[in-house]
Amino acid sequence: MAVPRNLRRQPANGSLVSHCTHHHIAVFLLTFFSYSLLHASRKTFSNVKVSISSQWTPSDLNTTALELQPYELWNSSHLFPNAEEATLFLGTLDTIFLFSYAVGLFVSGIVGDRLNLRWVLSFGMCSSALVEFVFGTLTEWLHFYNKWFYCCLWVVNGLLQSTGWPCVVAIMGNWFGKAGRGFVFGLWSACASVGNILGAFLASCVLQYGYEYAFLVTASVQFAGGIIVFFGLLISPKEVGLPELGEEQEGSAEEDANKPLISNNEEEEEDQNYSIQAPDTSNQPKAIGFFQACCLPGVLLYSLAYACLKLVNYSFFFWLPFYLSNNFGWKEAEADQLSIWYDVGGIIGGTIQGLISDMLQKRAPVLAISLLLAIGSLFGYSRSPNSKPINALIMAITGFFIGGPSNMISSAISADLGRQELVKGNSEALATVTGIVDGTGSIGAAVGQYLVSLIQDNLGWMWVFYFFILMTSSTILFISPLLVREIRLLLHERRLRMRTG
Amino acid sequence: MVTNIADVCSCCPGPVRSGSSVARYCAVRPGLALQGRCCLRGEPEPGVIVGLDLGNCSLTSLCAGFPDASTAVVIDLTENPLENIPSTSFQGFTRLQSISLPRALQCPGGSMAWDLNTTLGDSRTCQGQRNLCNSSGELAWLCPENSQCSPDGPGLVQCLCSGNYHGYKCLREGTFPLLLFYGILGAVTTTLSLLAWGSQRRKAKAS
Repeated sequence: MAVPRNLRRQPANGSLVSHCTHHHIAVFLLTFFSYSLLHASRKTFSNVKVSISSQWTPSDLNTTALELQPYELWNSSHLFPNAEEATLFLGTLDTIFLFSYAVGLFVSGIVGDRLNLRWVLSFGMCSSALVEFVFGTLTEWLHFYNKWFYCCLWVVNGLLQSTGWPCVVAIMGNWFGKAGRGFVFGLWSACASVGNILGAFLASCVLQYGYEYAFLVTASVQFAGGIIVFFGLLISPKEVGLPELGEEQEGSAEEDANKPLISNNEEEEEDQNYSIQAPDTSNQPKAIGFFQACCLPGVLLYSLAYACLKLVNYSFFFWLPFYLSNNFGWKEAEADQLSIWYDVGGIIGGTIQGLISDMLQKRAPVLAISLLLAIGSLFGYSRSPNSKPINALIMAITGFFIGGPSNMISSAISADLGRQELVKGNSEALATVTGIVDGTGSIGAAVGQYLVSLIQDNLGWMWVFYFFILMTSSTILFISPLLVREIRLLLHERRLRMRTG
Repeated sequence: MVTNIADVCSCCPGPVRSGSSVARYCAVRPGLALQGRCCLRGEPEPGVIVGLDLGNCSLTSLCAGFPDASTAVVIDLTENPLENIPSTSFQGFTRLQSISLPRALQCPGGSMAWDLNTTLGDSRTCQGQRNLCNSSGELAWLCPENSQCSPDGPGLVQCLCSGNYHGYKCLREGTFPLLLFYGILGAVTTTLSLLAWGSQRRKAKAS
């Protein structure tokens, strides 16, 4: 876990382990599970879709002459005339959710930095749990089915759910320093996948009692999580009198060592530009403005890069089971199980790539190499033979090279960007920056869901993969300026070491 | 006596015609009583219609209160200018064993819903209602998942939830242990909150 080169250069700074208190573990677990629970309730919705559309439609019989009796039992529900239209509506709800989630991310980051992160996270979890309860359970108990009401609730749910990610990343960024961040965040970003598994498990356990209980259980557990977060989460080390990260880990050795070398570098220029923009932020931690946050170096480029990458990543989440059952004729349940391997690859990829980037102390080169390999694996996956083990293997490899960088940008890199040198004076930029990066990414993902269905309908699956390859290449294009800069920095450092050592 | 039974029993003036199938049915069974056009059961189900004689009532369509007679075993509709009876009129008439009609009309639910279909003079008599759910023939009824076929009158069947299944389309099985769930969740939440507060936030300064 410790970074050898780092240790040699800054022994006083210590490794990750020596700083790891029980507070760190508690924060890791609490943020991990609060985001898992948020994701679990999203997964529940996609897992009960069949039951919901059944509830919303009359019985579908091929022979219209013989109507099932009694009428109340079989045909009294007429929200949609048939299952196809109900499915279409459920897809629309997904899109509505993604868009309102994306918009919400921009807002919640800003709110999170201005209010207490713990309150915002706890409020987001509890209120979104209530909305899910009304959406899935209350409407069913009251037999009140209304399309517009459902749409409104899902818009509100998207906005409330969006408070989760910026807050948990900001809190994690407060506790875990840049040195081990890549590895810790790589491990930590398994929370979304764990949430998916948890949601699928909870839903399948209680679905026999009716879909409303799947919502009831996940919403109640999420609400309980919000309460525990409220009572137990420490948002920053300074709350218990531990030293803040910025003071001892991030600022000192690394930046000091680089300072003389990059004095002519563009980073310095931007620093000056920035201090002109915000001259009075040095004394008191004050939240950063939205546009200031956008102007931080790297934020805009990483946001655009993430928009392209999250598009590909989310398309895999949403379309992979459908692609497998559609293209290879595998059973839906089997395809669902098989698609877990993409998640597994993503978690391993995020962790290993995070670890490598910690050792290099640079993230862009790792991303770039991984994405180049991703293009290759996408090409390979599109030509996967009709064999489950081989398909699962290539799927895991694709997950490793696409899910890994995606996890890294949304967590570790967002935290880097929000706690970089330039915002040290006002440390409350973390949630805002995370919100911007993930928000842009979610817009990309939402647009992508539409584009993928369009391309698949008109041109076929092969063109969907070409589209993914195009998007992955665009991601590389967007991070290339950062890549050039970081490689230049790496070379500087090496030259310095060779001269001194 | 219950008042609302009078509706169908008095939709045609006069008593049950002597010599009608309803009168014969009522006469040979103890505990039954005639009232208006009906033959009613006594204790333990007072007022339940077991026979209905609407013969010679100049009916062109069935009376409004006809569904009240769904418990009837014997029905007589002969000597009426009835033209057509919708098949759903007999929905729920599961006990019906004998019905007499003007000859021009078919047995309700078709002749295959009955064991015997006899004509005598101007009248037709359908006897022995068949249970279509048990028939293995052409009309073997397929009910959706979690439900089973149940007779619903001559030529009619319905699908009712089987076993523990209930709710719309019989999608639900059993009842959710709501109290148990919230009990456990509440206990776990309280414990974890106390634990987390005690170990983490107790010493926290207001930020």
